[in-house]
Amino acid sequence: MRLLLSIIFIFVTLIGPSAIAAEPYKTATWESLVPKDWDPAKEFKSLNLGSLQDSDPRATEALSRMKDTWGNAPTERSLDGAKIKISGFAIPLEMKGDKVTEFLLVPYFGACIHTPPPPANQIIHVVSKKPVDNMRTMDAVTVSGTMGLNRAESPWGTSGYRLAVDKVEAYKLPEGK
Amino acid sequence: MSPIPLLRLAARSAWARRLTLGVTLVAIMLSTALLLCVERVRADARQSFTQSVSGVDLVVGARTGSVQLMLYAVFHAGAATNNVDWKSFEILSAHPAVEWALPLSLGDSHRGFAVLGTTPAYFERFSYGEHQSLKFRSGESFAKVFDAVVGSEVAAKLGYKVGDAITLSHGMGSANLLEHGDKPFQVVGILEVTGTPVDRTIHVGLEAITALHLDWVAGAPVKGLSIPQDFVSKFDLKPKEITAALIGLKRRSDVFRMQRFVNEFRGEPLLAVMPGVALDELWQTIGLVERTLFAVSVLVIIVGLAGLVATMLASLNERRRELAILRALGAGPGDIFIMLAAEGLLVTTLGAVLGAAMLAIVSTIFAPWLLEHLGVLLTPRLLSLSELYLFGGVIITGMLASLVPGWRAWRMSLADGLTPRT
Repeated sequence: MRLLLSIIFIFVTLIGPSAIAAEPYKTATWESLVPKDWDPAKEFKSLNLGSLQDSDPRATEALSRMKDTWGNAPTERSLDGAKIKISGFAIPLEMKGDKVTEFLLVPYFGACIHTPPPPANQIIHVVSKKPVDNMRTMDAVTVSGTMGLNRAESPWGTSGYRLAVDKVEAYKLPEGK
Repeated sequence: MSPIPLLRLAARSAWARRLTLGVTLVAIMLSTALLLCVERVRADARQSFTQSVSGVDLVVGARTGSVQLMLYAVFHAGAATNNVDWKSFEILSAHPAVEWALPLSLGDSHRGFAVLGTTPAYFERFSYGEHQSLKFRSGESFAKVFDAVVGSEVAAKLGYKVGDAITLSHGMGSANLLEHGDKPFQVVGILEVTGTPVDRTIHVGLEAITALHLDWVAGAPVKGLSIPQDFVSKFDLKPKEITAALIGLKRRSDVFRMQRFVNEFRGEPLLAVMPGVALDELWQTIGLVERTLFAVSVLVIIVGLAGLVATMLASLNERRRELAILRALGAGPGDIFIMLAAEGLLVTTLGAVLGAAMLAIVSTIFAPWLLEHLGVLLTPRLLSLSELYLFGGVIITGMLASLVPGWRAWRMSLADGLTPRT
């Protein structure tokens, strides 16, 4: 009997917390921020890129158009109001003492300096009610909160993501890796 | 023995040895004050830096270092490497991603306070702290060329009221060698206290900056060439150059693309920095100095507490009789231990409290000086949360340290003090 009880006890303590505390936030990936039906290559289907020379003005023009298309990437509408959890790198925008209240979240390190900036649907403007302690530029964090679409006309797409966060934590490698 | 009379006994015994313990107390007081002071200056320096600018997405200026651009555009410290052409500013402010853009023209001063040339929109758009906007304590924004709006500290220090006439001088610094004496300004507005560099700034229109330098064609006043104030309006006062610009975007997530646009601007080499990133860079540079200062002040605390332990250990010798009599009267070794530990705790706590009080008084006295000379605003307060942790740390360390003499007294045998050594 005691053995059985202790087995149950161990079982509950091991499995319990993860099973009982249901995660209200759905873990999102950066790919899921790109609308599924969006195909940046659509416009270029008619163009046989393989037949173009490097110096061909049509190739140069297609490249610049491709850059624009990528830069004006649309947002996924179904994410408006979704409770999500996502990991990325933070770039502080607004600070209160040494705490951060607003930051941008981007999917890869160096997203703002060494390469062309990520498209509009790969940047999340994060606003935290509770100031976040100890945040440095390009810190890896996992944020959970409610996603919203911020509609504003700009040369780079008509809307962007804005996340009202409830929790910001340091990024941890997934278990087993 | 119950603890209360024991503690009274400890306090009285300590009072009997007040001179030596008093010196130790002063050492602990000073070291606590130093530790808390380092922490306070660190926290408040960050606070006043970070609250100086809010809601600005990009600071744009001629190409230079990002920290330097921030320092002169926002904090009016240091000098600009070059100016930005007005046409570039017009292109930037007309960019479809830009919600607002504020031109800044710096370089002149008035009795040590920076003069900032800008547009009236500055008073509506500029914000500090957590999206707080500027407010007028009295008067209003500038309308005429020779109108000026002064920050709260400028008004307080120099005793300015709305309607007063002031003279600006060429270049930065408090020694007014070259004055723009022929073109006095009139104070039309005074701003509310913000705790930011705005308080120490005199705001004038961009046209005023152009007007001031109309006759400065040779880089110095030319004899015989002087344009009286009344004739200034006959000239084209449209600004040709500005020093920097603050930009707010319609959508903050466009900031990387806008930054790229400015940095790759074809017209002239420009630099756009995100204030948050530049401030973070600044902290990383200053961080080492901060940590060194902190380590030094922790060492000072350790020295102070080591002094306490040494004094108490030394006192054990002179207190041999006292402790032996207590033992003979029935005090157990545990009671002696508690007495000694209580004495240490008492001295540490008293020292720490006095240190915190000293810091509160000194920081209130020196706050204006710090603000004026270092631009750091010390908020008068007793203890902040992080300071409270340090304060508690000092007391706990002191308590642990005083266990050493306690333990030693405990180990002393009963007979030890009763048999005088000859």
